[in-house]
Amino acid sequence: MNRNDLKVISEKAKEKHKKYKHKICVCCGAGCISSGSEGVLLKLQKEIVERGLQNEVEVIPTGCMGPCNQGPLVKYLPENTIYQKVDCENISQIVQSQIVEKKPIEDLLLFSDFHPKPFINAHDDPFFKKQLKIALKDCGDINPEEVEDYLAYDGYLALGKVLFQMSPEDVIAEIKHSRLRGRGGAGFPTGLKWETVYKYVSEEKYVICNGDEGDPGAFMDRSVLEGNPHRVIEGMAIAGYAVGANKGFAYIRGEYPLAIKRFEQAIKQAKKNGLLGNKILGSEFSFDIEVRIGAGAFVCGEETALIASIEGKRGTPKPRPPFPAESGLRGKPTLINNVETFASIVPILNNGGEWYSEIGTPKSAGTKVFALAGKINYSGLIEVPMGTSLREIVFELGGGIQGGGEFKAAQTGGPSGGCIPAKHLDVKMDYESLMSLGSIMGSGGLIVMDEKSDMVDVARYFMEFCMDESCGKCVPCRVGTKMMHDLLQKIYDGKGTSIDLERLEELAIYVKETSLCGLGASAPNPLQSTLRHFREEYESKIEQDID
Amino acid sequence: MQNITIYIDDKKLEVESGKTILEVCRNNNIEILTMCHLEGVLDVGACRLCLVEIEGVNKLLSACTTKVAANMVIRTSTERIKRYQRITTELLFAERNHMCSVCVANGKCELQNLGYKVEMDSIRYPRLFPQCEVDTSHSWYVLDHNRCIMCTRCVRVCSEVEGAFNWSVKNRGYQVRIISDFNTPWGESTTCTSCGKCLHACPTGALWPKAIVQGQLDKKPEIIEELMAKRKMGL
Amino acid sequence: MSTEIVSSEKEIQNTDPRIKLIAAKMKKENYKADALIEILHTAQNAYGYLPMNILKFITKELKLPPSRVYSTVSFYHFFSLKSKGEHTCLVCTGTACYVKGALGLLDEIEHKFSLKPGQVSADNKLGVQVARCIGACGLAPAVVLDDEVHGKLTNEMITDSINAKIK
Repeated sequence: MNRNDLKVISEKAKEKHKKYKHKICVCCGAGCISSGSEGVLLKLQKEIVERGLQNEVEVIPTGCMGPCNQGPLVKYLPENTIYQKVDCENISQIVQSQIVEKKPIEDLLLFSDFHPKPFINAHDDPFFKKQLKIALKDCGDINPEEVEDYLAYDGYLALGKVLFQMSPEDVIAEIKHSRLRGRGGAGFPTGLKWETVYKYVSEEKYVICNGDEGDPGAFMDRSVLEGNPHRVIEGMAIAGYAVGANKGFAYIRGEYPLAIKRFEQAIKQAKKNGLLGNKILGSEFSFDIEVRIGAGAFVCGEETALIASIEGKRGTPKPRPPFPAESGLRGKPTLINNVETFASIVPILNNGGEWYSEIGTPKSAGTKVFALAGKINYSGLIEVPMGTSLREIVFELGGGIQGGGEFKAAQTGGPSGGCIPAKHLDVKMDYESLMSLGSIMGSGGLIVMDEKSDMVDVARYFMEFCMDESCGKCVPCRVGTKMMHDLLQKIYDGKGTSIDLERLEELAIYVKETSLCGLGASAPNPLQSTLRHFREEYESKIEQDID
Repeated sequence: MQNITIYIDDKKLEVESGKTILEVCRNNNIEILTMCHLEGVLDVGACRLCLVEIEGVNKLLSACTTKVAANMVIRTSTERIKRYQRITTELLFAERNHMCSVCVANGKCELQNLGYKVEMDSIRYPRLFPQCEVDTSHSWYVLDHNRCIMCTRCVRVCSEVEGAFNWSVKNRGYQVRIISDFNTPWGESTTCTSCGKCLHACPTGALWPKAIVQGQLDKKPEIIEELMAKRKMGL
Repeated sequence: MSTEIVSSEKEIQNTDPRIKLIAAKMKKENYKADALIEILHTAQNAYGYLPMNILKFITKELKLPPSRVYSTVSFYHFFSLKSKGEHTCLVCTGTACYVKGALGLLDEIEHKFSLKPGQVSADNKLGVQVARCIGACGLAPAVVLDDEVHGKLTNEMITDSINAKIK
């Protein structure tokens, strides 16, 4: 396929969709599948055929729509009415009422168990109203298993534009202009990273997509890979063109079989259609992607450990410098970006860096995907502009605290992050603000805790996680996390002394400053942030101390 | 190689570019504590004893893996660095079962020596007292996991110098252990050449020859460097 | 454990279809050390764990030092060196077996032995696992009991075969 064919196919796909009067999307993300959406899909398809409506109604299995704990979700378009907790029994009712009688079913509407008056158009609900979907755009509307669907949504047009109308320098300039920062956690400017890799002269370079999403409670990357894999592939190919790489690897967690399946399928379709492989779209640029499956090691989210793992070795990190941009996979210059970062590339090139840079805050441009979990009414996946306050996220989008409880803290950044207490509910969610409170943006996990949560236990839980996931190479992380865990356990069990607390604080600073990689350097964050905001809880556990 | 100017602990030095901070310090008699570094094999930056402060860099960097750059301002013995060296040493002692008085390496042990250097008078952290095996299956040598500090010098000597690849590391976190082959007893290894280089590379009493009594160990880690130097000259 | 009895690689190759899957994967990956983890995934999926003789086979074929393979295996939590239970019943849920009633077999096992995939009986006699494909598609639905492949199974047959093992 060359560039003109692409436009023709894309138009054809659009025409095909226009043919139908009604469109019903069934969420087939891993969350909804586990609550039975595949059965719902089959039943719906059967029902439509039985009623002879197959020329009027299009049934589409899609990726994640967002409110995961309300699944299985079924969305009716063009009205954008979402039904929740749908089971096979409801199908006939939905078709009869929605398609034949053109009347929505109030009792099944999304959030009808929370709202006295749920919304017919789901976009009117604060859960969606406050969102701005850029990385997640089209996810939940298109069939991730059909490349034509992606093409109908202007897929691969950005790649075509890049290959034929832009030089690598132009692409990098556009990304720099967008002020996009790495969505994996640390927030390094993406354009700068691309430029660094571009500048190293080498016959061989690599692009790696980091999909080793290991934070407990985070599932942003999974949803993107499952819901819109072609978007990530296109982003990677553009990155390859910009930095001068012809080979890409997507490292996906082994715990995500559906994401792996869909991504591999998408690679095959892209290759078949000349969107990957030799001379893409008839240009001089060739790019290929291979999937590497993670084998259960959190530390492999760290760049150098991830490279070791792709090379088939123990996932132990290496000291930086040299950075992967200079010497990465097989010693060659390597660009590593996270899934969400790659998913943001296409919209930036389609709409321009200027457009993206105007969203969000001055230092953190664009949007961020968060996975809401914990004691919150609507858990699931949301995408909001950077700078949205925590209060808005928890109480407007998230519908407040479950069971009418009281907000105590929000944990961001997983085992590398920290807890934000109620008095900072108005914090703007961007890289710098979270850092100033002793937490981090991280990959976007956001766990809400109510007044029943024991913060010492939270710290102990995350320290146990880091202790188990430490690779064991450097002394501070290997022994330090074990010591800190044991001390936390002792305090939690009510056997700690004030000296133990003192040791704990000293170790936290030491492990943070001396560890070889990011895992160790951030392992003390949950401990330090709970100590900072909830010190009295620690002290109450050691009060009986006789010293 | 061109010469560049750097500053170490307020001393101005003209040094060859391309060298690591550790090499430069050793050449200029500036002491840097290390455990995992061994002349002749590649550096891994694992023990974190050689961390130095560099002006303009907000992280501490390991001297063994960081190369000097023009006008670099380096500090090797600030109060912070000394404090961290002492904690690292205490953690190393607390991690396994180090009983100097009954150890073959007593008096000739790099870990023991490190304890003196950082003036460690007590271990403030609870000892972990892990259950560790002693592998005596090899006809001549012993591997005592109680005394191992996971510096992996034996692993690197075995692969990089001897090319036997007998040693590696199993598990992760605080449960890491040195293994031979498929975690098989050393004596049953199909790859070990019994060359004995790992014994000389080992900084503690974890690897030692059977025909020795307490305190009689005589390790020569410098033979690895000599060997590699000869090899480079084609001898 | 019966896996220890089957020691020579030739013998495994003749008796076990799963070895062909692993051999094919190694060939596809050009016997590159880089692909070790991918190959281990294939083996783990076929066996439910990584038997020692299979590790040795992979090590030899890829011409890797044993310590390199063992250290990698022990690093990742996905890989397991031990099967769960004295006897293992590994039900293949690959496409062919799925179509021919693998889920029915699993239901039967759950009904008769109260074990779901991933579980081990209280007396540690029997562990039940599922594999993504064991490469015995012509025998679908197939189950591997310890190291024997049982093909074209019916619900009655699976119960009898398991009972014969654990008694």
